[in-house]
Amino acid sequence: MSMPRRTPLRFLEALGHNIFYLTLLLFGQGGAYLLLKPVIATYLAFSRKIHRNTAFYLKRRFPEHGPVRLWLDTFRLVHSFGQVLVDRGWLGLRGKARLEGDLLGAERLRELVAGGKGLVLLTAHVGNWQTALSHIRGLEVPINSLMHYEEEAVAKHYFDLRSGEAPFKIIKSDGFMGGMIESTAALQRGEVVTIMGDRYEGGPYAEVEFLGGKARLPTAAYSLAAATGAPVAILLAAKTGRRTYTINVWDDFYPAMGERNERRRDLSLWAERFAGSLEGYLAEHPYQWYNFFDLWSQ
Amino acid sequence: MQELKEQIKEIIVRDLKLQGIEPAEIDDDAPLFEEGLGLDSLDAVELVVLVQKHFDVQIEDMDEGQAAFKSINTLAEFIEARRKK
Repeated sequence: MSMPRRTPLRFLEALGHNIFYLTLLLFGQGGAYLLLKPVIATYLAFSRKIHRNTAFYLKRRFPEHGPVRLWLDTFRLVHSFGQVLVDRGWLGLRGKARLEGDLLGAERLRELVAGGKGLVLLTAHVGNWQTALSHIRGLEVPINSLMHYEEEAVAKHYFDLRSGEAPFKIIKSDGFMGGMIESTAALQRGEVVTIMGDRYEGGPYAEVEFLGGKARLPTAAYSLAAATGAPVAILLAAKTGRRTYTINVWDDFYPAMGERNERRRDLSLWAERFAGSLEGYLAEHPYQWYNFFDLWSQ
Repeated sequence: MQELKEQIKEIIVRDLKLQGIEPAEIDDDAPLFEEGLGLDSLDAVELVVLVQKHFDVQIEDMDEGQAAFKSINTLAEFIEARRKK
């Protein structure tokens, strides 16, 4: 097995990680926030890759911005992501630490759950989405989260560090039929299944208009809901301050499918509706989009 | 058991809206997914719901689903075994 090459950038990354860890231990969230700006400025000065990876989104969100403003946009985007990572580390290391937030539309979620058909909660890699997952405890039915391996590892890491029981059960999307069987069983029991609707990792998909181009979005959530009769609610979190966030139910609907040969078209319509909610969210929170790859050329 | 297999075939053709195929044409041993009957992941979800609805048997996880959904034979055996419990 070959060892990864030790480049100056990798060294800086490792050093930065350790310094942040120590700062969080000694000075808490505020101390780590202070460090973020110079560290990110240095990172952006040396890494071309981060500019390339953020430009896929930023050039679509801000097509009128020139190179200088794009550099500043990249800074704001990476800085916002850095704050979310700091928060996660801070919440993990400090048992009593907490963020304060509101769940707008909580009553609507309770109504949908009360229908007894289960509920598909569709979310995305925006804002502090893990906070969103941990905030939806008050629904009085078990919550399951359909996750890809990497997300599962991150979520496990986060919740294992926290004291107490994890707020949701993880269903792996890597197995037979991508976790659809377990998800279907959970919905049939009237439970909640959360799914990330923005990142295509394989399986059924639709290509829909999103930020001025065709993006491939997964459609498993809509087929699950259509087959079981469950409603879909789109839930997106945003960081609104140093220790505050908001979670908003952007939309809810009951997907239904017609004839067999029209299923793909039906799924596209629901995926378009999700893309519309995402665009609305990004109009309000343009620097909280954490998909650093070309979503439009998958 | 044969009656159960026929019932499953009818449900698959009718409720999954398969076109150009009769229940009697489905081979008991042929794979249900991909190269066999040609069902896909969208159908898998519907099949789990249909098994619950028509036979009151719940398929709980990936291992059960993978074993049960191999063919008409395996699905019939799975339903039969669950009904006896």
